[in-house]
Amino acid sequence: MSKQQDRPNSGIPDEPERGWYISRRGFLIGMAATGAALALGIPLGLPQLRRGAAGLTEGDAGGFASGTLEPTIWFKVFPEGRILVYVPKAEMGQGIHTALAQIAAEELQVPWDQLEVLHASTSQADDNFRGTSGSMSVATLYDPLRQAAATLREMLHVEAARVLNQPAENLAARDGAFELQGDPAIRITYGELVAAGVNWQVPEEEVPLKSPSEYRFIGQPLPRVDLPAKVTGEAIFGYDARLEGMLYGAVAHPPTIEAKMRSARPGQAESMPGVIKVVSEDGFAGVVAESRLQAWAARNALEVEWDEGHPWQQQELEDLVTAGGRGGVNIQREGDAPATLKQGTPITAEYRTGMAAHATMEPQAALANIGVDGGRVWTSTQFEMNERRDIAAALNLEPEQIEVIPTYLGGGFGRKIPLKPVPNAAVEAARLSSAVGAPVHVGWDRFEEMRLGFVRPLTHHQLVAILDNQGQVEAIVHEQASGDALFGGFPEPVARIVGFDFGSTRGAQIPYAIPNREVNAWRRPMPIPTGSWRGLGLMANVFALESFLDELAYAAGADPLQFRLGHLPNDPLGQRMRIALEAAAERAGWGSTLPEGRAQGLACSTDGGTVVAEVAEISLDQDAGQIRVHRVVAAVDPGRIINPDGATAQIEGSIVMGTSATLLEEIIVQDGRVVADNFGRYPLLRMADAPHVETILLEAPDGKPRGLGEPPIGPIAPAIGNAFFALTGARLRRLPMTPERVKAALGS
Amino acid sequence: MEITVNGNIYQVEAEPDRPLLWVLRDELGLTGSKFGCGIGLCGACEVHLDGVATRSCITMLSAVEGRAIRTIEGLAEGGTLHPVQQAFLDEQVHQCGWCMSGQMMRAVALLESNPNPTEDEIVVNMTGNLCRCGAYGRIERAVARAAEGMASAGEATLSGGRS
Repeated sequence: MSKQQDRPNSGIPDEPERGWYISRRGFLIGMAATGAALALGIPLGLPQLRRGAAGLTEGDAGGFASGTLEPTIWFKVFPEGRILVYVPKAEMGQGIHTALAQIAAEELQVPWDQLEVLHASTSQADDNFRGTSGSMSVATLYDPLRQAAATLREMLHVEAARVLNQPAENLAARDGAFELQGDPAIRITYGELVAAGVNWQVPEEEVPLKSPSEYRFIGQPLPRVDLPAKVTGEAIFGYDARLEGMLYGAVAHPPTIEAKMRSARPGQAESMPGVIKVVSEDGFAGVVAESRLQAWAARNALEVEWDEGHPWQQQELEDLVTAGGRGGVNIQREGDAPATLKQGTPITAEYRTGMAAHATMEPQAALANIGVDGGRVWTSTQFEMNERRDIAAALNLEPEQIEVIPTYLGGGFGRKIPLKPVPNAAVEAARLSSAVGAPVHVGWDRFEEMRLGFVRPLTHHQLVAILDNQGQVEAIVHEQASGDALFGGFPEPVARIVGFDFGSTRGAQIPYAIPNREVNAWRRPMPIPTGSWRGLGLMANVFALESFLDELAYAAGADPLQFRLGHLPNDPLGQRMRIALEAAAERAGWGSTLPEGRAQGLACSTDGGTVVAEVAEISLDQDAGQIRVHRVVAAVDPGRIINPDGATAQIEGSIVMGTSATLLEEIIVQDGRVVADNFGRYPLLRMADAPHVETILLEAPDGKPRGLGEPPIGPIAPAIGNAFFALTGARLRRLPMTPERVKAALGS
Repeated sequence: MEITVNGNIYQVEAEPDRPLLWVLRDELGLTGSKFGCGIGLCGACEVHLDGVATRSCITMLSAVEGRAIRTIEGLAEGGTLHPVQQAFLDEQVHQCGWCMSGQMMRAVALLESNPNPTEDEIVVNMTGNLCRCGAYGRIERAVARAAEGMASAGEATLSGGRS
């Protein structure tokens, strides 16, 4: 195949680096065959090689030069001064490539426009410390990325001293060059050093990092690095990947959530216009055609018989996901809540949340170019290593024979993580490409995207609490059940040993200083595939807990803000919650007189150390049963903020998506099928109904960055529900708050 | 069949009932127009037909012959971004960006027919275009900003012409 065929419009400008050797300190140094570019990296997924690499000698490096072990994060400095930073993180709109570039630029001391961030392909980092999820990218890469950048700069520094024949301490890094202090005319750029350098050594000592007070890039609202290509339409997403001579594929998909293929025959498909091949093999039937619509049409003409399995109904699923009984796991216990509850008359409430779809605007898509020895796949993915594993398994190849090249994602929200029981467009493209020996693109239609994904699981929450005679909560119990949020992708034995799905319990623990508190979780696997959805269990758990806390505040005759402030722990986290709650309340005008027909509700959450407080202001169209969220004020403390404008965008987005999920979005199963088929039966919030979001950024004094993409979705549902109670005196205890449920609550 | 896209004439061999979106993306390689729903519900595929914002996923090829088609790839002129693209960049509107070609094409069509829209007019015109990332506030701001930018650019041209 030609060079051009091998490198489509994927934004991958260079072949993977080869010939790495390892330094005493565990860094990997790579020289391109031409010697024209310097590369330095750190193998993040191999902790034994980080820091603790002292035991390795240079002689051990032989095994690493084979190309089987390459760094997860690495830099490549070119003679003309351009620096590429390869990161193992997907850009799906969260601005991660920009934030990581800022962190790198800080220690590299280079002009902003010399840096380019690329998502490393699977062949450019052969390890499993990958994947983009859990709002963890910045928190996990902040230290190692700075360390790697500082080390690279120091290597250039040593070389600059040699080339300029000046003492190193007299040279300072500035804008991608080293300058002699006092005489900036004596100067050499990083690119010139790379062109001249021959014998790169990683410093023996750990290079000291900048003090945050010296930061020039971190903390600045720098513009997103991916936006110039996105405003012109040039940015390449999985659906956009193209190769010369590529064909289009489509695959027959199960009509019900349990369907298994019994048999497949080509039927009319083979003779339909444009059809190149019908591929039918053990449980898989698809077509390859000259155009996408021909492929879709021929796919629909395949004669496939399915064993449809049990015709599941929504109520059966709801009944499966119930807290209580056997199998519960205790995940929080302070004092003795059960005994305390027996000493009086407890307040109880039951909450539920429905299933939801991710509804990424870009449906699943991949382009594969597979030959007999393997090949390449371009796809929108959050977990490229798992794509590679699943593709290789489907083709009976070794994972190393497949290179998965992540493109930009048209939304992720957890959906672009491959989950075994769910059909995978990347695997489908690879199978079809392998079958026809040509590049094949598979792009799902919206119907497939809605029906074949995995969904946010159902949850159920039983809450019980008792107040003392001062109106303080003396004891509280949260019993939580959920379909799998994380364990859908775990090997079952591992899931059994852990016992509870720690993804579905995000936000389930009680952060308030209540002397007797207990949280028990029930893992309730569901027949429909369920999995990660922005924040995993966070939205459901915070909805239940913070709505219930509001119920307790009213029972105690207290203002919901004062009630929360009166239950904060006396520690740094409690202090941060206080600051966030007070900031949000003050900006929102909490307690002030609102226009007729408006009310405010408040909620707070902590997730992965990020503290969020939100005030929602709503009104109600009583006849339609329609809640309108006018304004949301969010005070968010994620610790150190890398890019305040990017942080603000993530908060705004979380709140709009959370409002949509709170009011509109529900996946319903009927006769074994997902009812939603497109945006008609799965409406998303539109501009006319979107709240005005005001954000307040707070930074914990400890300087540690934490997650931001998901935490702000926590408090939005209870803030809306609590506002609804303030407005109407009725409590909404089920998500989403559809007009039917709103009317039912008002009628009761 | 002959179609005119961004001022260029293309010979296209495709069924007359093929939606324009797939002709643009798969035949012409203009992948800036995006597929979202296929039934005209989301707006990710919007292009201009004779200046009118149109959902290309439900517009048949046979309906566009002889008409001026404009896509996101035709907005910038000579390396200079269209004021709407510039405003979207200035407001840092895009998150994932998948819906944004449609959003920007919609905004351009609005401003070409109504250079000075009120806030309500912006919302009414833009509300048919879905954004899953929730960038609605920024889209609204960017459209207003572009309107201001286009108005002041227009004045500059006018005064330049007088001198």
